[in-house]
Amino acid sequence: MKKILLVEDEEIILDLIKRKLSQEGYEIASAKDGEEGLKAMKQFKPDLVLLDVVMPKLGGFEVMEEMKKDDQLREMPVIIISNSGQPVEIDKAKELGVKDWLIKTEFDPQEVVDKVVNQIGK
Amino acid sequence: MNKVQRTASPLAKRNAGVKEIKRLRNTLRVRDLELAELKKKHAIDLQELDKVAKMLVQRDLERSQITEKREDELKQLKESRAALLNILEDAQAARKFVQEEKEKISAIIANLSDGLLLFDAQDRLSMVNPQTEKIFAVKEQDLIGKTIPQLAAFPATRPVVILVKNEGEKIFRKEIKLREKMTLEVTTVPLTIGKNQLWTLVVLHDVTREKLIEEMKTEFVSLSAHQLRTPLSAIKWTLRLLLDGELGNITQEQRGFLEKTYQSNERMIALINDLLNVTRIEEGRYLSRRVLIELEQILQIVVNSYKEESKRTNIGFKLEVSKEPLPKVLVDLEKIQVAMQNLLDNAFRYTRAGGQVTVSLKSDKKEVELSVKDSGVGIPKDQQEKVFSKFFRAANAVRIEAEGSGLGLFIAKNIVESHGGRIWFESEEGKGSTFYFTLPVAG
Repeated sequence: MKKILLVEDEEIILDLIKRKLSQEGYEIASAKDGEEGLKAMKQFKPDLVLLDVVMPKLGGFEVMEEMKKDDQLREMPVIIISNSGQPVEIDKAKELGVKDWLIKTEFDPQEVVDKVVNQIGK
Repeated sequence: MNKVQRTASPLAKRNAGVKEIKRLRNTLRVRDLELAELKKKHAIDLQELDKVAKMLVQRDLERSQITEKREDELKQLKESRAALLNILEDAQAARKFVQEEKEKISAIIANLSDGLLLFDAQDRLSMVNPQTEKIFAVKEQDLIGKTIPQLAAFPATRPVVILVKNEGEKIFRKEIKLREKMTLEVTTVPLTIGKNQLWTLVVLHDVTREKLIEEMKTEFVSLSAHQLRTPLSAIKWTLRLLLDGELGNITQEQRGFLEKTYQSNERMIALINDLLNVTRIEEGRYLSRRVLIELEQILQIVVNSYKEESKRTNIGFKLEVSKEPLPKVLVDLEKIQVAMQNLLDNAFRYTRAGGQVTVSLKSDKKEVELSVKDSGVGIPKDQQEKVFSKFFRAANAVRIEAEGSGLGLFIAKNIVESHGGRIWFESEEGKGSTFYFTLPVAG
């Protein structure tokens, strides 16, 4: 079973994605801020990380910078969840090496599944 | 002896009588002569007297005339003197008045919260007020008499002077950032007497505080809009899961309500997106990436997305593209798409069933022109000038559809203008509107 880590501070969004992806047969773990997320990455060793950008303690971009410094996490694929969907934000994410991105108000739960499948398969 | 003579003979008496008569006659003759002589002499005297008298009368007359004249002159002199005194008094009063006015105007200029600079016809700075010194942080004596090129060399005055040099007296409330925490609104006013322009007045209005408040407001809207997106996403996803039956079966009635809620939520998301776009425009970070493209490519995508809308609303929809190949333009795809969508949204929103929306695209060597023509309600004449203002919605538009942010055209205008294009419209209430925009041909 493929493992996905959700790092998102908004509980309902976390619940919704978790539910959708569990139904699709993925094993899900979640973290509510960047710091927690980094810890969970090391313990849970997910195949893919879904990472929110705006979060307390450590934001998504800072988490990615931390990941770069860590041999264990450097290659871990990330899909970011952008709030604004602004080109500046997407550009920054691409620069940091994200695999894909989701824009909060624009995507449906199905799109999350599609993008996840696209990255790591079923 | 007489007694003797009387007693003389009658003859003797007669002889004596004759003799006497003779003597008397002689005497009389002599007297006559004397009288004539006298008369003659008198006549001469009289003549002389008459002459003198006449002269005297003449003199008298002359004298009285002279007196009269002198009196007149004296009177006139008195009057002139009084008049002169009056004039002098008036002049003094006028001078006092002018002095007072001058002081008043000087006081106004000195205490005006706006900075003033006065350039003479030779572009030499002839006056500044204390506020200008404060704004530039430069003393008056270092500014007066300097020409525009000299002032352009000063870092403090450079931005304003360059603006004045380039745009002359046509500047109206142009905003420039002089330095950190000093934003000015510059206006120039030509001061003319008759046909001659004598001076150019430059007014510097300090809008630093307003600018700061505006920035804070923009930031606030941006932040709240961002904050709103997350819960709106959660609502959207939950509704989607419900509608997709992933959270259990729902009845037909429930589906109906949920679908309407989903649509309302989508509208809310669109509105928040509009608000975010506006704040981005205001923060000056709206334009991002531009690519070289034929405008028709973008237009096709947008037009296709309205075909459904055209069927649903029963409004005819046509795209007319000139047969000549159209030159390429350098645009931000996403933004230009938004501008097109905003024009099309309005066209469909304010046109009744059975109406017509026509999109045309053509070009000349300089620009590509797009137009969206509708047979809708039109814009009332008295509201036409506000059409591109933020949050503006025409009265008849509000009646047709209560919702709508009043941001679409504001955003479209900003997008088009930031690409160096122009946007305008023609509209008649009850007949329809045509919105046009142009984009400069690349290269």
